[in-house]
Amino acid sequence: MRLRFGHAACVAVLMAATAALAQSKPVAGEVAEGSLKGKTLTFVSYGGIYQDGQVAALKEFVDKSGVKLLNDGPTEIAKLQAQVESGNVTWDVVDTDDLPPYVYCGKLFQKLDLTKLDVSKIPEGQVGECSVPAMNYGVVLMYNKEKYGDNPPKSWADFFDTQKFPGVRGIDGSGSPTGGLLEQAFKVAGGDPKAMTVADIDKAIDVVRKLGPDTIFWKTGAESQQLAESGEADMLMMWTGRAMTAVKNGAKYAPAWQDWLVVMDQMTIPVGVKDTDASYALLNAYLGKHAQEILAEKTSYTPINNDAQPKVDASVSAYLTNTPERQKQGYKQNFKFWVPNFAVAQEKWSALMAGN
Amino acid sequence: MLALPALVLLLAVIGYPLLTIILRSLSEPEWGLQNYIWFFSMPINLTVLQRTFVISTWVTLVCVVSAYPYAYLMTAVGPRVRLVLMLCVLIPFWVSGVVRTLSWVILLQDSGVINSILRSLGLGGVRLIRTQTGVVIGMAQVLLPFMILPLYSVMKGIDLRLMRAAQSLGARPSRAFFTIYLPLSLPGVYAGAIIVFILALGFYITPALLGGPRSTMLSTLVQTQVLSLLQWGRGGAMGVVLLVTTFVLLALAAPVMRSRYREAERR
Repeated sequence: MRLRFGHAACVAVLMAATAALAQSKPVAGEVAEGSLKGKTLTFVSYGGIYQDGQVAALKEFVDKSGVKLLNDGPTEIAKLQAQVESGNVTWDVVDTDDLPPYVYCGKLFQKLDLTKLDVSKIPEGQVGECSVPAMNYGVVLMYNKEKYGDNPPKSWADFFDTQKFPGVRGIDGSGSPTGGLLEQAFKVAGGDPKAMTVADIDKAIDVVRKLGPDTIFWKTGAESQQLAESGEADMLMMWTGRAMTAVKNGAKYAPAWQDWLVVMDQMTIPVGVKDTDASYALLNAYLGKHAQEILAEKTSYTPINNDAQPKVDASVSAYLTNTPERQKQGYKQNFKFWVPNFAVAQEKWSALMAGN
Repeated sequence: MLALPALVLLLAVIGYPLLTIILRSLSEPEWGLQNYIWFFSMPINLTVLQRTFVISTWVTLVCVVSAYPYAYLMTAVGPRVRLVLMLCVLIPFWVSGVVRTLSWVILLQDSGVINSILRSLGLGGVRLIRTQTGVVIGMAQVLLPFMILPLYSVMKGIDLRLMRAAQSLGARPSRAFFTIYLPLSLPGVYAGAIIVFILALGFYITPALLGGPRSTMLSTLVQTQVLSLLQWGRGGAMGVVLLVTTFVLLALAAPVMRSRYREAERR
């Protein structure tokens, strides 16, 4: 009997220890029952099916923690800056493009305390000082199958070669320059993207400019999709989600995956939020396996939890970017270069966008 | 006294933000004229500023030419037809500019309605979308009500018996129109033209969706400075430059309009 009692005591101690450990060490996707009752969190993202999918992914978190989740958007760094400067931050968790958390780390976005998050399942190299990934997708070269027939473009070098591949090009003109595209353009100009300097940005932009006056700079993802579906552009740089939808809708386009540009939306906590721990709890829940599966199923974007196995049909899975093959083909922009040179690049890119 | 609520509102929603913009253009990142020096030292800014005025002028001209006969027709028909004509102006006016711009995308694009009709008639297609022409067409349509309504309100006050009198005195219809009707209707033309011109200067969505790089207007550049680069000072300076240039142009045009106005009143 004594022994039994000892056993039980042992188990009890062990369980208590585990519980204590669990409390100090967060597990992605988990939140304590009722822990945020009476609290409100405002989550900011880009709207559309993307934010709907994120909200669906967070439903479990909301139900369990008892938090009231408000949605706002779209993310505008200028708006966030105004909130931080006035000391009245109403955005608790913000989804951003890939560069801002690096450019404004510590100024607009909090440096993350990684003891409050379980980042063990996030794909390698994606956790930043001020952000965790929100999802992955890609920018991919899509080409008109009928136009190019047996000799399709295979790389960005072909995209920039209007001699060998005549036709109208469509480029992301929605605002900020795509670092990866400029690096590919710089390669065409004979440079080495790894050793890029500020002066080289002009060389890269010149390559884009040389595509000529027929080049279409699309302003929205919807427009890029529409350009493929109507066949107006022969080669397009497209976000994978839009590429998939266009093909689903009957666009006779195919992807050239070589050097597709890796894009990672980011999740951040602004400086000056009222309840930092509540924001962390949301982030941690968002990173969970189940949440990421729901997100991928609703949006077709690639989950950022290595264990996630979303159930998607073939048309969607063809555009997921986390397969070993795609990971090998992907091209990651030179972050170290673009972060400090973000403003210069933006200025030069804007001049191109304004017809200069 | 009666004007007080409107005055307070104007001061609050226009005066205060405007003052903030001017202040920030002079104080960020530090006090001085740096933002203005930057504006005038970048050729692209000047190109786009000039383009903004050129596009707005075209839009105003298109609006005047197309609104004039329409407004006249509204004064010449019976009440029932007038109601229909009025609704034709007002219903699109109530529809969001974004929606109307998107419908122009469908009409103007290379595989769009206009080009399919041209092709089926055996004529070649024309490039409309992502050109300045496309932007002018789209903006003119969005702004047309602002031209028609002031024109109509002036025209309906013109006594048509004057025209008959002129004709009975031997003037041909064209002569009667140019010496009687047109001068009397000019205040409406001026009022409408000024509203359309000023609204056109600040247009954002329509040139962004229908235009290409060569039809980018100043508002897009302001947006880049403020929203992507967080350069509120530069964005503010651009706004102030646009505002001041507009005031200067209006001041130059004012004497001409005033004399015409008086002339019209004298007749």
